[in-house]
Amino acid sequence: MITTVVGNYPKIPNLPRPAKLRQAIANVDAGKITRDDLQRTEDQVTREVIAEQIAAGLDLITDGKIRWEDEQTYLARRLRGLRLGGLIRYFDSNTYYRQPICEGAVEWVEPITVCDYEFAAQYSSKPVKPALPGPYTLARLSENKYYPTLDEFVFALADALNQEARALERADATFIQFDEPAILRRKQDWALFEQAMRRLTNGLTAKLALYTYFGDVGGIYPQILALPFAVIGLDFVQGARNWDVIKTAPFTKELGFGIVDARNTKLETRAELRRAFAQIARVVPLDRVYVNPTCGLEFLPRERAQEKLAQLVAAAREFGTRKPRTSAQAEKRNTQHATRKTRKAAKEHERSRK
Amino acid sequence: MPSLLTTAVGSYPKPDYLMQARNQYRKKRIARAELLALERRATREWIEFQERIGLDILVDGEQYRGDMVEYFAEEWRGFAISGLVRAYGNRYYHKPIIVGKVARQGPTTVEWWKYAQSLTRKPVKGMLTGPYTLMDWSFDEYYGSRRQAALALARVVHAEARDLERAGAEYIQIDEPAASVVPEEIDLLIEAMATVTRGLRAKTISHICYGDFTTIYPRILDLPVAQLDLEMANSNYDLLDVFKSHPYTKEIGLGVVDVHNHRLESIEQVKTGIKHALQQIPPEKIFVDPDCGLKTRTVAEAQAKLELVVRATREVKRELGLR
Repeated sequence: MITTVVGNYPKIPNLPRPAKLRQAIANVDAGKITRDDLQRTEDQVTREVIAEQIAAGLDLITDGKIRWEDEQTYLARRLRGLRLGGLIRYFDSNTYYRQPICEGAVEWVEPITVCDYEFAAQYSSKPVKPALPGPYTLARLSENKYYPTLDEFVFALADALNQEARALERADATFIQFDEPAILRRKQDWALFEQAMRRLTNGLTAKLALYTYFGDVGGIYPQILALPFAVIGLDFVQGARNWDVIKTAPFTKELGFGIVDARNTKLETRAELRRAFAQIARVVPLDRVYVNPTCGLEFLPRERAQEKLAQLVAAAREFGTRKPRTSAQAEKRNTQHATRKTRKAAKEHERSRK
Repeated sequence: MPSLLTTAVGSYPKPDYLMQARNQYRKKRIARAELLALERRATREWIEFQERIGLDILVDGEQYRGDMVEYFAEEWRGFAISGLVRAYGNRYYHKPIIVGKVARQGPTTVEWWKYAQSLTRKPVKGMLTGPYTLMDWSFDEYYGSRRQAALALARVVHAEARDLERAGAEYIQIDEPAASVVPEEIDLLIEAMATVTRGLRAKTISHICYGDFTTIYPRILDLPVAQLDLEMANSNYDLLDVFKSHPYTKEIGLGVVDVHNHRLESIEQVKTGIKHALQQIPPEKIFVDPDCGLKTRTVAEAQAKLELVVRATREVKRELGLR
């Protein structure tokens, strides 16, 4: 089993640790510091959350999406054709995001997350995966005022995200994840979704993961296994039905096993987690399992997120998993790569953010 | 039958002196008694203001509450307060955690209600947060099921509503802004509210900010309360079109000013909104108010919006010859 996270990580810690990022954003808003100052804080906090994930013992990490205002805005504000509207609720959570509004042809103009990836890879001793919203979810959470049909809007976003993924590949990202929680709410859109996933992944060579959460894949399983992704991520808490669903057909892909509840503070016991590992091992061989929280960790207070990750790793180790070669190799590759590129990347990063 | 009574949804902004005092109190620089005195002063000022402008059914303005869920979580047993979680942008809050059996430590809001009511002869509404919203906006480490948590909370809210009624409250509002978040759970919302309002004689009201109201309409008409209080202004009254698909049968709290906007509506806009509603709902079933609690506005903005609600309603009544 490879231990990992799904995406975002809580941006601020609680006292006595200072809420640096919150303060920095407030200071920018008040005109007390510059955008460059804010970016330095974002860099610093990103390094902190990378360190925390590594300290927790994870095999594969993200940059914590510290710079992301929410799962949509960060990309939407940089894609041509989209602007940002008012705050609306994010799924059934008590969090809100700025709704992207499409008013023109969607166009990918330049790399959006590439320097973030390079920055994270440079400061991480573990492999880093970029995690992007998928085109279907991005479309569903946006308002389309431009394209005559939803299909056209989704395809345009798929093409744009394909470009972003290609840019990440050029920056040596070897594992790229796309999040598509929205398809679980509208499974009747499966035909559109399937086409969109093919356009999204067209020509990509990295190892690709498709993560779903906030529900189960009943009704689109096993079809979802035929999509061009190596890893399919499922939520086994809010989508507890997935336990039954995946028994209806052989799980032929690698599994992103979302078992730690990222939406509730209740700490899983190691015994509970070990039982879950034993149960999943009967369906998917463990060397094809990535084990992770159910979704991004930002719904939780930072300290609880840390505790949950530590618990996850401890339970995985207790379960006596061997570390698969693929992960070790990736790690080595990433480390060498990072060392080689450190100086260059740091300079580029500075430049690109100015 | 009186028609087009005016009221408010719950919270009012806290005056500067109270905001400062709350800050000082948090930093332990002033005593609880000192803060309490200022909370009472602010409550009195809001009651006086509502009387002055001629509002019909008053609220205490919730000057002693922070957030509508956190307040009860702090007062009740069975809750802990979590570290900060992000709501959006740079906004964070302490989300309550249910860590044990929830219970009151005696009446929670009754003293405040009695105080507010002692200052006026107009009726003051008792204001509570509904069990479904308390559940949905908390972490649960104890009950293990959303239904169990919501029903346990419902029993506590019921006890509080009972005490408000016993103290003399004629109107009790039980807010459920989370009502439409998970439309598939509407049965639970209704079941929990039934536990809250069972046996109450007071007029019961529930404020619902509709994320997507169409997903719970018309089923929401089964919510066991006499009145639904709904936002109308910030969506250009398009809910009234939704009512055309299925007649609206309850009393309505008709939100006619947008609370999320600094800008003050014109009196014509508000009057048009009221008249629009009158085409579908009889005047004795309409209670005119702002869209939502006004606590996010400045004191001046909130007062201007409330005055506008009263003025516009009066003009409509005069024009239509309503009592």
